Amino acid sequence: MSKEKPFPEYRRKLGPGWWLANSHFTQYMIREWTSFFVAVFSLIYIYELSLFASGARADALNLLKNPGVIAFNVLALLFTLYHAFTWFYLIGKVQPIKMGKTTSKPWQALLVNIVLLLIVSFAVIEILVLR
Amino acid sequence: MSQDIATIRVTRYRPEKDGKPYFQDYKVPYRKDMVVLDALNYIKANLDGTLTYRWSCRMGVCGSCGANVDGVPKLTCASFLHEFKGRTIKVEPLTHFPVIKDLVVNMDDFMHKLVEIKPWIIREKESPPEEGEYRQSAEELERYDQFSSCINCMLCYSACPVYGLNEKFLGPAATALAYRYIEDSRDQGKAVRFPIVHEIEGVWECTLVGECSVVCPKGVDPMLAIQKTKILGATNALKSLVMPRGGGK
Amino acid sequence: MPKVARLHAILWGVFSVGGFIAAFLLPVLIYIVGIAYPLGLWPISGQDPTTSILNHHHLGTLFLFVTVAGSLYHGIYRFQSTLTELGLARAKRALEALGYLIVIVGILAVAYYLLMLNPGVLSLP
Repeated sequence: MSKEKPFPEYRRKLGPGWWLANSHFTQYMIREWTSFFVAVFSLIYIYELSLFASGARADALNLLKNPGVIAFNVLALLFTLYHAFTWFYLIGKVQPIKMGKTTSKPWQALLVNIVLLLIVSFAVIEILVLR
Repeated sequence: MSQDIATIRVTRYRPEKDGKPYFQDYKVPYRKDMVVLDALNYIKANLDGTLTYRWSCRMGVCGSCGANVDGVPKLTCASFLHEFKGRTIKVEPLTHFPVIKDLVVNMDDFMHKLVEIKPWIIREKESPPEEGEYRQSAEELERYDQFSSCINCMLCYSACPVYGLNEKFLGPAATALAYRYIEDSRDQGKAVRFPIVHEIEGVWECTLVGECSVVCPKGVDPMLAIQKTKILGATNALKSLVMPRGGGK
Repeated sequence: MPKVARLHAILWGVFSVGGFIAAFLLPVLIYIVGIAYPLGLWPISGQDPTTSILNHHHLGTLFLFVTVAGSLYHGIYRFQSTLTELGLARAKRALEALGYLIVIVGILAVAYYLLMLNPGVLSLP
């Protein structure tokens, strides 16, 4: 075993474009990029809060009305929902629930959690915004 | 009637002659009942005796004939020619592993990882054979059953970009096998195995691509094993924070 | 568990909790603050949603803190690992350090601003 290898082995390296090699990888990369929108929206909102806290409420509200910011927020909402749906699906894969002899399928977890997401969202609007 | 012909485009790498791998095309008769391994055997027997690849059982049990077929890691013995589009099929060595010759890759890294996770039942104290076997219920068996089906074919490593980017990553099959013993009611080796799987280059590198579970020819779900192992690690870490003594080993 | 591995385990656990927060709570915040308010869509009528939420002292402040802090952590943790997968593997340690710096400063900032906006929030309801 300690002998030197007589011929060189050919080593391959994964380039930065590896995620284009198959559609699963591409979907995976889109899923991971949802984090960019989640993070950037959070940072924008922290900045909003800083404007509110320093009394510059009008500036904060004007920033929200900037077309570029609105466009980003629409994208951020779409990507965040994509994160939510993939997350729900993966919950179903990782923590299937056993009911008697049948085991729950990932798409069932997806559906149940989408209903839960709707309930939570309406509750937030009802309790924190409308009241 | 003219004969139906398939073109098998195989990676050739002959380190004694070529600096780099290249593709070589072989024409083989195309039959509905032919698998990719049959085509490779046809080439070796009739066209080019220098083509080198691994195989043994021809029935999806030994795990030696893995290759990337049309870009996807597969057992060549279990992939029919008619499953692929067109009449040209590309056969390459499993990705991420160093290539020794043609389709033969170096498996040392995987073999080391396999041994590292101690794939056997660990007991705090072995009981003498006269006392009989360690008994287990059907439910207890079910908890780890699927993870014991691994045939070490390494397709999951070939499918894993995280392993491709970081060779130190413990990876799918080794973690699935570790989890197989972690979940085995007869095993008492958690204290030995947890530090290995919960090492930084262990499960935490995984970003849930999920392709390992897609390509596994035996229905093992390494992605699930890795996630479960992460959850065990996180709960143990939390326990040991809350109760520094005695909590989570 | 060795200390470094324990830290990794806990950081992953928090990331995971953050994933739930970003999935269940963030979409509605993005919608009301970033889309419904500037475009004047349902359920907004007049007052901006941030002020409405902050009017509900404890619950509103808690909602904003959990949603923003959890999402920020989740997003940054995941995005720095995505960048390493896109060819920045060599900068892994630096990206991690930068990521955690952003997270810590960000979470402290959210807490500070929310306290400034609702100074009474630490007293019991």
